[in-house]
Amino acid sequence: MTAPRDAEARAASRRLLATSERELQRIVLDMHDGPVQDIFAALSQLQVLERSLAGDAMAQQRANQAVQLLERALGEIRNFIGAFRPPGFERRALGEIVEGLAVQHETLTDQGVELDLPTDLGDCALPTKIAIYRILQEALANGHRHSGASRQRLTVHRRGSAIALTVSDDGKGFDPQRVLASEADVGVEGGHFGLRGIQDRVAMLGGSFAIDSAPGRGTSLTVTLPAE
Amino acid sequence: MIRVLLADDHAIVLEGLRALLDGEPDIKVAAWTTDGTEVLKLVQQHKPDVVVLDLELTSIKGTAVIAALRDRPSAPKVLVLTAYNDGDSLRSALDAGADGLALKTESPQQTLTAIRQVHGGQLVFPQAARRWIEGRAAGAPGDLTPREREVWSLVAAGLTNPQIAERLGLSDNTVKFHVQHLFSKLGVKNRTEAALKYAHGPPR
Repeated sequence: MTAPRDAEARAASRRLLATSERELQRIVLDMHDGPVQDIFAALSQLQVLERSLAGDAMAQQRANQAVQLLERALGEIRNFIGAFRPPGFERRALGEIVEGLAVQHETLTDQGVELDLPTDLGDCALPTKIAIYRILQEALANGHRHSGASRQRLTVHRRGSAIALTVSDDGKGFDPQRVLASEADVGVEGGHFGLRGIQDRVAMLGGSFAIDSAPGRGTSLTVTLPAE
Repeated sequence: MIRVLLADDHAIVLEGLRALLDGEPDIKVAAWTTDGTEVLKLVQQHKPDVVVLDLELTSIKGTAVIAALRDRPSAPKVLVLTAYNDGDSLRSALDAGADGLALKTESPQQTLTAIRQVHGGQLVFPQAARRWIEGRAAGAPGDLTPREREVWSLVAAGLTNPQIAERLGLSDNTVKFHVQHLFSKLGVKNRTEAALKYAHGPPR
C-alpha cells in the first residue's frame, strides 16, 4: 500500500520545486529590470563625471574608485544571476533550451561543449525541463571547475517515455563516493548545488542517477528522468 | 562622426548613455526613445549609423525592430544591448541579424567600444557564437559557385544587396537570388551568420 503515498509525496515535491522555481525566476527578472539597469546607468554618468574632473586628481581618483566598485557589483550580479534560467523558458522546446545552455557555457567559460542532440527530441513536462536545465548547468559547471578538460560532451536523448542525459569529459576525474559524502549537508552556494543537489532533484522526480568517475579516468554523469 | 540612435525601455539608461556618448569626440547621439515602435520612424528621420537597442522593449519586440531595419535600403548597424547574458539573448540577436551584442552587466566602456567596432564593420559577438554557427551548418562551402563566393565576401564586408549589385554590375534581384542560394548552401539564416562564418573560414 505504499504506491499511492509515494505518488502523493512525488506530487508534493513537484509542487514545491515549481514554487521555488517561480520565486527564483521572479528574483532574476527583478535583478535584470532593476539593479542592473540602475548600476549601468550610474556607471555611465560616473564616467562622464570622472572625465570632467580632469583638473582635480584627488576627486578624479575618488570617482574612479566608485566606478571600480560599481563594475565589481555588476560582475557579481552577472555571475550570480547567470546561474538562473532565462526568460521565456516555459515556451521554448527542450532541444532549444539545451542548445542555449551549451552556448551560454561556452560564452562564460571558453570551454567547448560537444553537443549530441537529436532533431526529434520533442518536449517534456515543465518540472522535468527545469530539472534538466538545472542538472546540465550544474554538471557543466562542475566539469569546467574540476576536470581540467578543454571540452565536455553533452548528449540528450529520448528513451521511450524518459529523457536520458549524459555529461562527460576526459579530464582529471574524482572519487564520487567521497564527494557525495562531503556534500551531505551543503546547501545552495552561489547558485551551485553540487552533485548531491543533482541526486536530490533526480530522486524528487523519480528518475535515475549514475556517476562514473575515478582519479585520472575522466567523468561521466548519466541521468534519466520521466518526460511527463 | 558616428551618429547613434538609442532605444531602451529604461529612461535612466538612456540618460546615462546619452551623457557618456555625447562626451566622446567621435560620437553623437542623434535621437533616443523608450518606445520600440518609434525606432523605425526615428531611423527614417535621422539616418543614424548605429542603432543601440535593448531586446526587451515594451510595445514591440526588439527582434522585430531589427528585422524591419534590415529590410531598409541603407540599413544602420545594429548593436543589441541587453541585461541578459544567456544563450537566448545571443541566439535572438544572431537570428534577427544584429551586428553585435553588448551587455549591461559589463562596463558601459565596453558598449562604447562595441559601437565603434560595429560602425567599423566588425561583428561583435562572443567567441561561442562563431563556434555555434560553425557547428550547426551542415553543408561545406566547397560547392559554392565563384559568383557566390564573391557575393559572400561582400556580405561579410557588410555591404547591402543594392551595394553588392552596384559593385558587381548586377540587378538587385540577381543579387538577392545569389544571396538566397549562398545562405542555403552555407546553412545560415542571415547576413550576420554568413559574415561570422566567413570570418571563421573564408573559401579556399
